[in-house]
Amino acid sequence: MTPVPENNRLYKRAHWLITLRWIAIVCVVFGTYICNSMLAIELQATALYSIAILLAAYNVVMLLLLNRFNKGEKEVTCREVKKIINFQISADLLLLTALLHFSGGIENPFVFYFTFHMIIASILLSLRESYLQATFAVLLFGLLVLFEYMQIIPHYCLRGFVSHCLHRDGPYLVGTFFVFATALYLAVYMTSYIAVRLRRAEQAYKQANLMLEEKDRIKDEYVLRVTHDIKGHLATIQSCLSVIVNGILGPLDEQQTDLISRAHKRTITLTNFVKKLLELTQMRLSNKLEMESFSLNNTVDSVVETVKTKAEDKSITLKSNVEPSADRIFGNQFSIEEMLTNLLLNSIKYTPESGTVEINATSNGEGILVEVADTGIGIPEEEQKQIFDEFYRASNARNIERDGTGLGLSIVKHIINRHGGKIEVESKNGCGTKFRLTLLKEKGSQHGLISSKTESLTSG
Amino acid sequence: MENPKILIVDDDVDHTKSIQIILESNHYNVVTACDRNEGMEKAKLEKPDLFILDVMMSTWHDGFEMSRELKKDPQFKDIPILILTAVKERTGLGFKSTAGDPEWLPVDGFLDKPVEPENLLSEVTSILSGKS
Repeated sequence: MTPVPENNRLYKRAHWLITLRWIAIVCVVFGTYICNSMLAIELQATALYSIAILLAAYNVVMLLLLNRFNKGEKEVTCREVKKIINFQISADLLLLTALLHFSGGIENPFVFYFTFHMIIASILLSLRESYLQATFAVLLFGLLVLFEYMQIIPHYCLRGFVSHCLHRDGPYLVGTFFVFATALYLAVYMTSYIAVRLRRAEQAYKQANLMLEEKDRIKDEYVLRVTHDIKGHLATIQSCLSVIVNGILGPLDEQQTDLISRAHKRTITLTNFVKKLLELTQMRLSNKLEMESFSLNNTVDSVVETVKTKAEDKSITLKSNVEPSADRIFGNQFSIEEMLTNLLLNSIKYTPESGTVEINATSNGEGILVEVADTGIGIPEEEQKQIFDEFYRASNARNIERDGTGLGLSIVKHIINRHGGKIEVESKNGCGTKFRLTLLKEKGSQHGLISSKTESLTSG
Repeated sequence: MENPKILIVDDDVDHTKSIQIILESNHYNVVTACDRNEGMEKAKLEKPDLFILDVMMSTWHDGFEMSRELKKDPQFKDIPILILTAVKERTGLGFKSTAGDPEWLPVDGFLDKPVEPENLLSEVTSILSGKS
């Protein structure tokens, strides 16, 4: 998991505010209706419904505004989103005051719903902005109470809920207003206390994540250097042994041949393992992949050509088909060839004699779907999740080949991730395996390099 | 006809020895050098029919530099070069597709280390016959 950038986080919260507002609108309408018709509480229903409609209209405008940011595809800065959130909260406070005015003013216990706005402000905004919002709310409410007291604006008594009008009851007003104001400030204080700590914790988590990434990179470089040195020596050992095994310096007796052949085979296994490990580490370390558009058909042909003899050795039927609409593909040709070779060789290795291995590519809307299917031993269902893990080998695969590297499918997965593609496996123990890959189609403007470090991290 | 002469330039003397034996057993004359400077000296002295170069010698691209130097020299520009190396894994690139590009990698053949004797011999034969 990667940390969500601050602006994205705020942007999502702004949407959350809009959702909350829809809920509030519905509650206002229902509340008004119930109070009026069932509870016999006198309300200025027309005014309240009008405010609800106003709220709805304003909510739609906010939604459109946010969506426009999204469509523009430009990065929204934190400041812009904060501006919108600040505006929304202020407007909400204003409308809530208006709602209260038409439903009894200070007699209405819903005055304490201002607290929710304070909590939201404290979570999303800075401390200063939150206190400003609290002050604004206290001011609005204070003015409402004062004006109603001085009869500058009319007071709509909440008859049916209170026995007599309270708007000129001095001690009640002072008491309620005092509790109201302190409740708002305390809410801001407490919530921002927690919010600041959470934000700090998130910051620390981001830092730790970066540090781990760096450590991982150092480890990869170390593995790269070590395996590279090992490979150099192994290559030489293998070359020297080949000279003897191939009888170039004359024939050996039976026992000598046997021992040297064993050593030679083990060297080949080890060399292959080190090669794969190098390849994977190399891939993990490089940030950029050169992407171009090329013909998938030609690539599949060349892959099939490479693995043909291996299939013939086991009398396996090798079929390939690339739909013309799936021919132009966008990616790194070398990697894709490598990946398909890996998959086909795997299929051939784990398919019994006279089986079938198939590779098909079809166009799939935006992408290209490549399927590699075989009639092999399959992968036990409970192990399918792990097969892409480094060094993991399925239990039945180990019976077929004791010394596999367990790296082939990790390489495939890496290549797929770096192409922003998908790989799925469908298999039943004993009934064959089908790998389903989704890759990118050629697109006019996609030339150049893509950075895929983050991709490989999020999915890894 | 005289047996073709091959110059192997590789800093791994053990590896050089193994392919020297393979080539000599097939009646090639083999001369060896263990770095780029010695390689250039031997080239002038021995006038080989084929160069086999390791890419990674003192620096990781010495073999490329040397092949460019050879191809620029009128004396050697027609002599084929076979690159034999483990460099593929180091760079994550397959050189095969670019081998023969005169600008970037002016060589006539390319093999990954370690190479099996039969592959080495067939590559050498095909390069030498292509030349004549």
